[in-house]
Amino acid sequence: MHKLTENILDKFSIDFLRNQVLKNAYGNDDTVIAKLDPRVLLVWYLFFGLVPWFLNDVVLLLGLFLFVAVTTKAARIAPLVLFLFCLGVFSQTGYLFIVALFFGGNTQTIAPILVMTLKVAVVSLASITVFSGLDPDRLANGLIWFGCPEQLSFSISFAYRILPVLMDEFQNILLSCRLRGNPPTRKGFFGKIVWLGYQVKLVIQSFYPLMLNTAKRSRTTVEALEIKGYRYALQNPEVKRMKLSMLKVGRNDGIFVALSVCWVLGCVALSAVV
Amino acid sequence: MNAGKMTQSQKMMVFVLSMSLYGLATLFTELIPSFQVGIVEFSVEYFLFIPLTLAMLFDPLSAALGAATGELVFSEIMLGQFGGLGELEKFLTVTIGVYIAGRLVKNPKNRKMVAAASILGVTVQQAMGCVVDILKVQFAVEDFEAVAGLPESVFFTEGFACLNDILFSGILFCMLPAMYLVPKLYGKIEPLLGVKPRDEKTVLEGGVLTPKNILICVAGFAVAIVAELLASGGYELIDWEAAWAESTGAFVAAIVVAAVAALVVIGIIRNRASRTAQSR
Repeated sequence: MHKLTENILDKFSIDFLRNQVLKNAYGNDDTVIAKLDPRVLLVWYLFFGLVPWFLNDVVLLLGLFLFVAVTTKAARIAPLVLFLFCLGVFSQTGYLFIVALFFGGNTQTIAPILVMTLKVAVVSLASITVFSGLDPDRLANGLIWFGCPEQLSFSISFAYRILPVLMDEFQNILLSCRLRGNPPTRKGFFGKIVWLGYQVKLVIQSFYPLMLNTAKRSRTTVEALEIKGYRYALQNPEVKRMKLSMLKVGRNDGIFVALSVCWVLGCVALSAVV
Repeated sequence: MNAGKMTQSQKMMVFVLSMSLYGLATLFTELIPSFQVGIVEFSVEYFLFIPLTLAMLFDPLSAALGAATGELVFSEIMLGQFGGLGELEKFLTVTIGVYIAGRLVKNPKNRKMVAAASILGVTVQQAMGCVVDILKVQFAVEDFEAVAGLPESVFFTEGFACLNDILFSGILFCMLPAMYLVPKLYGKIEPLLGVKPRDEKTVLEGGVLTPKNILICVAGFAVAIVAELLASGGYELIDWEAAWAESTGAFVAAIVVAAVAALVVIGIIRNRASRTAQSR
């Protein structure tokens, strides 16, 4: 047990987190999913994100689940994201089930909860495929095309670029705080809690220099944007057109859509037979 | 500079600042697993102290919007956990909570005021989230009342989680850090953005909370509830045609409906595209 916790704590170092997040954001732009047109994928998501909520047939839901699982595999999502997904889906509904038992439910309670779990799983896997599998810039362009505010797409592109810098800086600040600090001993249960509290305090304190640094950086960013006429470009349709001219629906998009439709129809037929 | 009013680009700076910092923090909290001791869940629920601090020092609305956007982009879209329309609920509750807390503070050096405002902001945000969650489960599972033990368990878990979040995360991760950071940053961080520090004179015009503000917040909350309910699933459709819920034809119908919806969307898109093509 001790070994296990040690192992998990090792895995969850900041470096590991950073690698996983960066891998997720930048590491998979050569997959089949990433090469599809963002607009097609967003419409696809509209279907797989909405329709499962209306269904109650276990066979059909299982079929949809298999399909989105395959697309998630094709998008080569980082393992950490998948782990978080599993944790999220099963801890939520599992917890509800246990408490329902506690209040006098029985095994009958499991059926609606299982259906709900499947629905949640299909919807979240579809969103993981689309939002995690796509390149951030392409995703932002797709969103603009559907008329999302430019602020949002700016935020997406900016976030993906600033994140590595911010993480590096945060880690540096945290490490230098640690170097100068004198952590309490971790002996015994009480000592461990004190140690944990100390770590949390350190993280909070390191936000003080980080806030100041980021304030400077955000001023530089906004000033650079202003120089380039960002707010003028926001309202100019010509700029928007140029930005979106890279989006093209190709043959692969057609194949993907046809495959999705065939699969869904097949599932419907199967559920009718069963 | 005219007394204390921020220019548009300074507001943008606050937006970017709040977005990147809170986004980074939510990314961490999303990745750090929570651990449970018995039934009490100890999780670093959120580092809401960051937008709270910024909202108390700068323009509250920009800081609140920035924080909500940051959470959406960094922890939802980047990690692929985007829940579609349902995210609107979180977006709006975070915005409202932070905005109210930021408006309340007149003098950032007054620690008591900072503490009270931050805990109020957390409470507002959590309570709204709790109400929405209960409603959501009530509509998502059909025959809600029929499943034995489910209604009580939902009220119990949601209410408990809400209380737990307010007391644990609220005090440890919002109130105390805000009490520490706000007076410390006051007067230091403002010059970096070229803004005058907030004082009695430069405090927001029109009082702390005008009826208009409250009305807007309530309206935002209503929108949040509606969005969440719509997101969690066309319960109305099921209510209207309860008969089809068990037949296979239902699924075909649902899919046809979805296909028609998709076609309509594509049509609208085509229209838009051709219109933009004409206008250029």
